[in-house]
Amino acid sequence: MADTEKDIDLLEALFEEARRDQPTLPDDLSARILADAADVQARQAAALAVPPAQNPAATFVESAIGMWRQFRAAVGGWPAMGGMAAACAVGLWIGLAPPSFLPDPAEFTQLSVDTTALPYDSYDLAVMLGEETE
Amino acid sequence: MEGLPKVSASPDDEVLLELFAQGDQRAAALLTERLGPRAFGVAMRVLGNRAEAEDVTQEAMMRLWRIAPEWRRGEAKISTWLYRVVMNLCIDLKRRQRGGYLDLDAVPDPPDPAQSAPEVMQDGARHDALQAALMQLPERQRQAVILRHLEELANPEIAGIMDISVEAVESLTARGKRALAALLAGRREELGYHDG
Repeated sequence: MADTEKDIDLLEALFEEARRDQPTLPDDLSARILADAADVQARQAAALAVPPAQNPAATFVESAIGMWRQFRAAVGGWPAMGGMAAACAVGLWIGLAPPSFLPDPAEFTQLSVDTTALPYDSYDLAVMLGEETE
Repeated sequence: MEGLPKVSASPDDEVLLELFAQGDQRAAALLTERLGPRAFGVAMRVLGNRAEAEDVTQEAMMRLWRIAPEWRRGEAKISTWLYRVVMNLCIDLKRRQRGGYLDLDAVPDPPDPAQSAPEVMQDGARHDALQAALMQLPERQRQAVILRHLEELANPEIAGIMDISVEAVESLTARGKRALAALLAGRREELGYHDG
């Protein structure tokens, strides 16, 4: 029992000496750590200095916006864009639901395959229109 | 007007780390001076090898520099975080040296007989005797004993560093201390301690 107490006392004494004798940082290691710190600081500063346009996603969006602006300016600005939009809408409406006085565009597509159809530019067109209006 | 912010006489570690993240090189020097020796000391004790301890210390400090911009103030003590990084790096190093496997509870190989030869244990031999005994402890016991008895950290902080419960820390330190006492048994006279 006494031996065990002596062993513990010895251990406590060794701990006490070890706590007093803390190692110091070697100079070359300290220099390496500070060099790393400077390197990391430089990289972090460079990352903060990168303009947003260098971000690939931001670059793509910026490029798309630039192309749209150029197109709008080329056609004459917003008023011209409005006219174009209206013309497109009317064209689409005529294509989907043509007025009764115009030939059905579907029939034009059948001209080349339907041998019984009459030529568009002949007098028979009047006959066709006449039949529709009857 | 100075470009760099002023560093007060003894700012805490978190203030220094914030200043570092803002580009203050003096903050890096102060943090190195303050934390470097502790990281190096504990790595030396755990690894028992100066070159390896230097590598671990440099890597741990590098990780501190890198995390500086994202450090959330008040979440953890920087010294606790650094101890944890050092301990994990030590475990990783040992694992790599043993081919990817490290049993944390395994007892290491017996020390070189030359290290325990009485003729080596002269002046300064107490340090060597303690280190040789520490190196015979299982990895986790060694870490717990070093943090508790040499770094004098509280058990809850050690538990945070080692990612174990406080009860596990108490168990590891108690077993480690008993094992060290047994390893050093009978060497009182040899190490220059005399009764009376």
